[in-house]
Amino acid sequence: MKEQIIQAKNLCFSYKNEDGKPLPVIKNLTFSIERGSFVSILGHNGSGKSTLAKLLNLVLTPDSGELSVGGIDVMRDDLSEEDIYNLRRRIGMVFQNPDNQLVATIVEEDIAFGPENLGIEPDEIRKRVDDALAAVNMTEFARHSPSQLSGGQKQRIAIAGIIAMLPDCIIFDESTAMLDPIGRAEVMETIERLNRERGITVLHITHYMDEAVRADRVMVVDHGEILLDGTPGEVFSHVEQLKAAGLDVPQVTALVHKLKTEAGFDLPDTILHSADAVEALRALYDQIGG
Amino acid sequence: MMEHTPKISLENVTYRYSIGTPFEKAALQNVTLGFEGGIITGLMGHTGSGKSTIAQLLNGLLRPTEGTVRIDGQDIWEDPKKIGAVRFRVGLVFQYPEYQLFEETVARDIAYGPHNMGLDDDEIRRRVEEAARFTGITPDIFEKSPFELSGGQKRRVAIAGVMAMDPEILVLDEPAAGLDPKGRAEILGGIRAYQREKKNTIIIISHSMEDMALYADKLMVLDHGRVSRYGDAHEVFSHAEELKSVGLSRPQITKFVMELARAGVPVNGGIYSVEDAYKEVLRVFAEKKKGAK
Amino acid sequence: MLRDITLGQYFPGNSVLHRLDPRMKIFLIVIYIVTIFTANTPVSFALVLASAFVLLFLSRIPAKLVLGGLKAVFIIMAFTAVINIFWTTGEELWLEAGPIKIYREGVEYAIFMIVRVVALIVGSSVLLTYTTSPIALTDGLERVLAPLKVLHVPVHEFSMMMTIALRFIPTLIEETDKIISAQKARGTDFTAGSLAQRARALIPIMVPLFVSAFHRADELAVAMECRCYRGGEGRTRMTRLHLHARDFVVLGAHIVLLAAVIALNIIF
Repeated sequence: MKEQIIQAKNLCFSYKNEDGKPLPVIKNLTFSIERGSFVSILGHNGSGKSTLAKLLNLVLTPDSGELSVGGIDVMRDDLSEEDIYNLRRRIGMVFQNPDNQLVATIVEEDIAFGPENLGIEPDEIRKRVDDALAAVNMTEFARHSPSQLSGGQKQRIAIAGIIAMLPDCIIFDESTAMLDPIGRAEVMETIERLNRERGITVLHITHYMDEAVRADRVMVVDHGEILLDGTPGEVFSHVEQLKAAGLDVPQVTALVHKLKTEAGFDLPDTILHSADAVEALRALYDQIGG
Repeated sequence: MMEHTPKISLENVTYRYSIGTPFEKAALQNVTLGFEGGIITGLMGHTGSGKSTIAQLLNGLLRPTEGTVRIDGQDIWEDPKKIGAVRFRVGLVFQYPEYQLFEETVARDIAYGPHNMGLDDDEIRRRVEEAARFTGITPDIFEKSPFELSGGQKRRVAIAGVMAMDPEILVLDEPAAGLDPKGRAEILGGIRAYQREKKNTIIIISHSMEDMALYADKLMVLDHGRVSRYGDAHEVFSHAEELKSVGLSRPQITKFVMELARAGVPVNGGIYSVEDAYKEVLRVFAEKKKGAK
Repeated sequence: MLRDITLGQYFPGNSVLHRLDPRMKIFLIVIYIVTIFTANTPVSFALVLASAFVLLFLSRIPAKLVLGGLKAVFIIMAFTAVINIFWTTGEELWLEAGPIKIYREGVEYAIFMIVRVVALIVGSSVLLTYTTSPIALTDGLERVLAPLKVLHVPVHEFSMMMTIALRFIPTLIEETDKIISAQKARGTDFTAGSLAQRARALIPIMVPLFVSAFHRADELAVAMECRCYRGGEGRTRMTRLHLHARDFVVLGAHIVLLAAVIALNIIF
């Protein structure tokens, strides 16, 4: 069995509303994330998926339950500041608004921010910054100001800033939500490459179905609970449940589902990609009369 | 190039910003386009195609460096002093408009535009209620502070604030950006219901082909400040390859139907919804079955 | 529009001045200002003015851009010059028309004052603001002031605040532009009415701007914590500053300039 980088058991978290009454956001979540995997967390706005991300990074502290991140039991009473610091280095976070996470006025200075906080030697920081820039294909923008960049480019710089801290895992908290289609494509391509080539564990929080299908595993969160969990093929075959949770399914998946349930077509359950659907439908078509 | 008489149009419009500084740049170069009255037009193009500049030119927030902007054939800059009146005729909802909220209560924020128009209190109240209905804002949040609301609710309040001005022409820049599928459907559905009742002219700027295929009557595709395609969804999506080169993503289903046709299943292109694809597949299968018998 | 503001903006480049050590530049600007205010004879003023233009030339920054920055202070300069010309009394009367008396000294003062301001703006902007990235500047300041840490002066915190402020200025300018446009589209009129009405028209701008700035601050703080920021303690820096030969050459030139100005003051 592979190592689990995140393990949560009966995790609970509530916000306090105006009257001081607790408002449960995360209810009894139990799950684990395998090291090196690419997991999408899908849910509509307000489903609790962003709160979950903040818990994993200790921006918020769980009310109860067990949580171990990178082998550190974060619910331990004697958790030191040093432990939290260490954990944040290993579990990086990229947020939604690219403008609100860049600190410096020059791209490479911004990427250096994390390693500088870690007290790393200047020569080593330089190496890491250059490497991180190359990893997100932004080397030529090293000396630019973030305000000259597009949304997708800014987001890639934010990613580079995390990579320079050499994390084991990166959590993307709706990092594509504010981008245009080109920016989204750039960021998704970068995320996939980091997962594949560097073995970085990716937790991608999103409400875009076409992004979720690119993961190894999809977890659907609704009302602070896990609604569905499995490979994209498995998850997206539950068309009705997804729609009830305010989510869509990829159009081709919806078509295959409709053909199967309403017209009785003999199609497999777990078609996600256009090419597979084309293949399956063509095979059915060729059989007619033959 | 357009046969219809446009409700609002740009004629040979060039817009340059930062004139006289080293950063001078043309955002639009000699653009001519017109929007039909009484329908929803989806204006699409990649980032940097000048869509947002066009929006601000249409309601007189920006003045063309060269060229003319016309409403019902009338040059809106004929008397620059009267440009304020143009802004009441052409409503403009910016991208992420929730940042414009400032009043103490939701109702007062929606009423801000109508109030500036000098309407009486009864009329303002009527308009606030009407705009709230179209955007799905329930009266129980009228007296809440807009800052207590969720992101999606703030967006609705901001859109309602411009709808309440009851403009002849309403321009919305990416009204559903960043929302989840349910939120998108509610906002865009509300805009459509509003247009159907008011019969006014609506221009929605978007780069989501899926959304525009569903909610707009006509689509206009911009490429380098030129109208590269104009027509209903079926016409525009028949040229799906072209959309890709303009930097727009085609709906997955459109691509799928094209691939299916290429693989030898004789479906027709120009399809952009699951429903239509479903019907088309059934039609093709039924025809072959008939032929086989 | 707000985004047209160029005064005090960094202009990326690779000239000698761009490559100087920021600490040295801070030191040089002090010498330069001393030089400007030491000059008090026409020849030394000419030298100061010439040196400003030599710096401008060395920076490779379009003269139009730098001189354009003078426009902002033109009215103040003109006003002060007029006051100097008409109100300074002296020994050599040049022109007398009714109550107006213009003395040589008045004209001289006016010219000197203009030269001083021009040299100050051109010199400091090409030496510092245009050629030093804001981050290098704050970095330089942090290091120059580092000894003050012993006295518990929050040097790191100050420089961090500067850096963040600089980072967010373009963002907030853009945002202000956007909010103004959005409220104009809702019929806000900033130009009509009494002073009180105009002031009230600013509320729809200021409230969203503050709300947004606080929101950004919140998000940025979380993002910084996630990147392991915990103050200046134990923090290293990627860029190590080294003084190069060019730093000393330029320093030498400045000292020679100051010496020359002093000498000229004495000789003439």
